[in-house]
Amino acid sequence: MGLESQFMTFMKVVIPIYLAAFVVYMLSVLRGRSVPDVVLAVDCMSFDVAAFMAILAVYFRSTFLVTGAIVLALWAYLLDVYVAKHLAEGEVGA
Amino acid sequence: MIDVHLLILAVAVLVGLASSYMAITERDLLKAVGYSAAQAVAYTIALYILMAPDIVLAYVAIAVGVYSALLVFLISKTKRYEEGASDGS
Amino acid sequence: MSLGSVLFYIGMAMIFVGAVCDVFGALGMLRFPNFYVRLHAATVGTIGGAVVPLFGVAILALGANFLPHRYAIAGASTITALIILLVAPAGSTALAYAAHRSGAVEWRPGVDHLKERKEMDKSAEGCRDD
Repeated sequence: MGLESQFMTFMKVVIPIYLAAFVVYMLSVLRGRSVPDVVLAVDCMSFDVAAFMAILAVYFRSTFLVTGAIVLALWAYLLDVYVAKHLAEGEVGA
Repeated sequence: MIDVHLLILAVAVLVGLASSYMAITERDLLKAVGYSAAQAVAYTIALYILMAPDIVLAYVAIAVGVYSALLVFLISKTKRYEEGASDGS
Repeated sequence: MSLGSVLFYIGMAMIFVGAVCDVFGALGMLRFPNFYVRLHAATVGTIGGAVVPLFGVAILALGANFLPHRYAIAGASTITALIILLVAPAGSTALAYAAHRSGAVEWRPGVDHLKERKEMDKSAEGCRDD
């Protein structure tokens, strides 16, 4: 049994676990208890999705697919910082 | 046996539909910005499974980053809670 | 057993550890009582659930001989892991500071030393002005 078929069997176990974690994060977003809770859950969910994207790039054997992970991890941080600035100072930007 | 990536596509699109419904019916606009960002992350997975990484690059930058930042800037200049005539939702 | 297959199995183990941490972080985010306790679940979900599997993907791609352009995948996932390692604690800290300062979350603490400290500083400033 080569490495490739072992990896494909392993992916059949791991991908449903990541999908379940994504759905549970989305449930805690949709409960919507307060604004920092929603933003924190979106933040965690987008970092998770970045890791999931890198795993799927190995699964689909494509190099170009992995570039989306870097961009998603960087832009999710911007949402955090803007909402935190708005909550702390009352205004954002110019 | 069903393909794994079709399962991922179905879950991501259904979750995005639910969170965009919540973004429309929410009265607190900052929470609605959070729901809109969650919808953008869910659709990012959908576009990724459809093998369009170039659209993923543009969609993440616009829908998670610039759009949310612009809406938070707009809310900080105006009011935070939406005032409606009907209290139906 | 060659070096490549050793790297491959180490990467597979790290991806599995990341999946388990991910599920536990998500359940904690759903079930914990208030926002400041939920920050612990957020740390489990980002550091254990995103950084560890990204380093695992990098190590696995170095050892996988069936991948085309495996060094590109390894480098990109290493850079993503380093970015998340720097950015996720900074975002959580900024959000916790903003939540405490604006009073946006409801919680019933036994003691709140930061608030007591701020009130003490404020009253000291007021005395100095008089």
